[in-house]
Parts: sequence; C-alpha cells; structure tokens
Amino acid sequence: MTQPDQSPYTAEETALIRKRQAARSRVMGVALVGLCILFFLITVAKVGVWG
Amino acid sequence: MTTAARDILMPAEWRDFWALTKPRVMSLVVFTALCGLLAAPGNIHPIIAFTAVLCIALGAGACGSLNQWYEADVDAKMARTAQRPLPAGRMDRAAALHFGVGLAAFSVGIMGVAVNWLSAGLLAFSIFFYSIVYTIWLKPNTPQNIVIGGAAGAFPPVIGWAAVTGDVTFLPVLLFTIIFLWTPPHFWALALFMKTDYGAAGIPMLPNVKGQRVTRNQIFGYSFPMAGAAILPFILGDSGWLYGAASMLLSGVFLILAFRVWQNEATDAAAMKPEKQLFAFSILYLFLLFALFAFDRMVTA
Repeated sequence: MTQPDQSPYTAEETALIRKRQAARSRVMGVALVGLCILFFLITVAKVGVWG
Repeated sequence: MTTAARDILMPAEWRDFWALTKPRVMSLVVFTALCGLLAAPGNIHPIIAFTAVLCIALGAGACGSLNQWYEADVDAKMARTAQRPLPAGRMDRAAALHFGVGLAAFSVGIMGVAVNWLSAGLLAFSIFFYSIVYTIWLKPNTPQNIVIGGAAGAFPPVIGWAAVTGDVTFLPVLLFTIIFLWTPPHFWALALFMKTDYGAAGIPMLPNVKGQRVTRNQIFGYSFPMAGAAILPFILGDSGWLYGAASMLLSGVFLILAFRVWQNEATDAAAMKPEKQLFAFSILYLFLLFALFAFDRMVTA
C-alpha cells in the first residue's frame, strides 16, 4: 500500500513556487531568443553577408 | 521543518540572480570597457563590438556572483550587504556558484569565438584574478587587498581595446594604470566611513588594521600618481586638448578632496563628510575621465 503524497509546502507556498518558476522561465526564454538573434547576427557579421 | 529552512528550498527569483551580478559595479565595468573599445584605433563591426561589451558585462556578473558565493557568511555580518540574496536566505549557495561559473565559461567562450582569443584570455584572467586572487586570497588576509585586487577592475578598458586591435599597447596599459591607482583612494574613502561594518565582518581593511591616519595618508599619497597617470595621455600626445584640460581640472578637484580627507581627524563616521565627498566624486571622476578620453580620441581620429 503506497503512502499518499505529503508535500512539505502549503498551498500558498506552492503557488509562490509556481509563480517564481514561471517568471524565471519567461526570463530564460527571452534570454535564449536574444542569444539566438545575437548568434545569427555574429555569424552574418563574421561571414560578411551584408558587407 | 522550520520556516527558515523551507525558505531556503524555495526557488530563487530571477531578480536575485540579477542582484548576484552586482549591476551597479557592472555598469562601471561596462562603461570603462566601452571607452577602451571606442578609444582604440581601427574598426570593429558594431555587432562584434556589442558582443565584446556583453561578454565583459557577463564576465563582471560572474565575478559578482562568485564573490557573493564565497562571501555569503561575511556579507551577513555587514548592514550594507546583509540583504543580498545569499545572506538574506533567498537563494541556495550552490545556485550562486553554478550561476557564476556558468556565466564565466559562457562569456569567455563567446568572446573567444566571436571577438578574438586575446580579449577572451584577458577576460578569463581578470575573472580568475577577481574571484580567486582578490576574493579568496587577498581580501580576507591583507590590508593591501584592494591595492593588488584593484588590478581586476582595471582590466575592462584593456579588454575593450584588445577586442578592436587584437593586441595590447602602451595606451591601454596606461588606462589600466589610471584605474589601478584610482582604486585605493576610492575604496579606502569608503572603508573609512564604513570602518565599523568591515570590522564586524573581520575584513582587514586598512583603517581597521593600520588606523585612520595611515589610511588618510595613503589616500592622499595615491592621488598624486593617479592624477599624473590621468594627465599622461595628453602629455604623450595620445589625446587632444579637450581631454588634457578635463583631466587636469578633474584631477585637481580630486586632489583638493583628497587633501581635505588628509586634513580631517574625525573618527566618527558622521563627521566624515570629506571622505563621503571623495568617494562620491571618485565615481564621477572615473566616468567623466574615460568618457572624455574616448570622445576626444574619436574626434581626433
């Protein structure tokens, strides 16, 4: 017989954790998109596609 | 499980990671690096220039993170630093270490691939120097910590210069020397009116170890070679009259403020107005000096 899951966090703390994780994910997403654009532009600058 | 222990397990906010990078210190690093980059002879593609400055900023962020990771216990003892993410218990210490090492590796790698490996090597050395030589070795062990450690903060204009030219000549070394000689008066002015804080944390800053008289003598003493180094680019013909006049005027004001610090005998932080004025002006001094140097070089070119 398995034990029911016992989260060490209260409902408020769980909501706060989810909120922080979501905010961090958004920031990470923006950073990754920014890096993709930067790497593309570096490649263009290095190759000299646009002079 | 206590509330405090559960707080530690909460994921840190992204703002805490941002705070780890010491954004205000980073702004001065980015600014001096940008000035070194703009003052260097030759051309650099704007995207590569942006990448170089970004890598220097990330490298500075890595230094801030690794510094806060190592000094978490010390930061908890000082009012000025007690609210940082680690001493305030908002972040796991390992997360700060991983973040710092990750930023360092990423910034050096991108700098090498996108800009050049000389600037990447200088960036790697400056991160090593600040994180290991200054933070771990010098700072907790000698009152000369910020004199030698000041070299780490003096690297950015050299890295900016190397990003453009791919080499290091006398002029970027002179820019390095200006920041290197500026660091002791700047930090010791702060250490004088924050003496109690540093004492509580057990950091052997000069005022705590050698006393306030010796520190004031040293501040005044270092101001002269700093002023000389600041004016030298003009004397050597590496800048125009604009920078020459500005460097003499700004250095003159710096020397007057340093003289007032030297005259002051106050032992109470509340009566240390000259020290606070010198600390505030020293930041403005470096900003204006480097901005005008870069502007003058661009106009002259």
